[in-house]
Amino acid sequence: MSDFDLKLRDFIDELGGFAKTAENTLAEIEKDLLGNKHKFSVFFERMVAIRGTAQQLNLPDVARIAQLGEEISVKAATAETRAQIRKCVGSLWDALTTIKYLLEHYTEKTTEEQEILVNRLDATLRAMGGARPSVNAAEIDELLKQRR
Amino acid sequence: MLRDEVNILVIEDVSSMRTQIRMILKSFGFRKITLCENAAEGVRLMDAEQFNLILCDWHLGSDISGLDFLKFVREHPTFKDVGFIMVTAESTRESVIEAIRSGVDDYLIKPLTLEQIESKVYGVLMKKRVLQ
Repeated sequence: MSDFDLKLRDFIDELGGFAKTAENTLAEIEKDLLGNKHKFSVFFERMVAIRGTAQQLNLPDVARIAQLGEEISVKAATAETRAQIRKCVGSLWDALTTIKYLLEHYTEKTTEEQEILVNRLDATLRAMGGARPSVNAAEIDELLKQRR
Repeated sequence: MLRDEVNILVIEDVSSMRTQIRMILKSFGFRKITLCENAAEGVRLMDAEQFNLILCDWHLGSDISGLDFLKFVREHPTFKDVGFIMVTAESTRESVIEAIRSGVDDYLIKPLTLEQIESKVYGVLMKKRVLQ
């Protein structure tokens, strides 16, 4: 194994640890959907960490699913009905399971099942009102210039 | 000040990211780089020594976020002028505007590239007149 592969392995092991935290959090939420919905913030934090690191590692499939996980967990935290929360939790389990699989098999190509999952997560997110508006690096620079 | 005298604090909860940021900063000639994983440790380190630049992740997986830490730094009588770059995957419009309003000097979006880090780090150090 090359030095690069070893470093990559370290990164991926660390991401696996984040996925485990997210998994434990979802299990906690499932015990009391309404009472524990504040814990979606923990899930959200771990998804952001996974996405940021996956982007850095050039693992776009992991990053894309983690991003959907982030956005769905934001919606879940403010959902008012048990049915909405349950729907989100189901989607988040799917997202997490796929992320864990992809981390273990990061050299494999995306499968049709993963594409279907991404479409399903997208649909869930749209049904909950869609992703929060984001800005790219150039737009951030523009916002910073306006401040100056 | 010379590059190898600039004192940089990196706060990032992902250990492999911390290591990578340090490697990149070292490749630019910076030598005094302190790494830590959360804001509470960052505060303790800032009490102990003077930093010229802070690179801080937004989501630190702890009670104090990078944004809270930025606000703390900007309100602190001694630390308020230290250069502060938010290093994050958090790019919602609302969050970026909040960071700018809170006094962030610049913003690095993951994935980080050598060119991006170089440009932002030098930009802030020049603006703060740490580097001439």
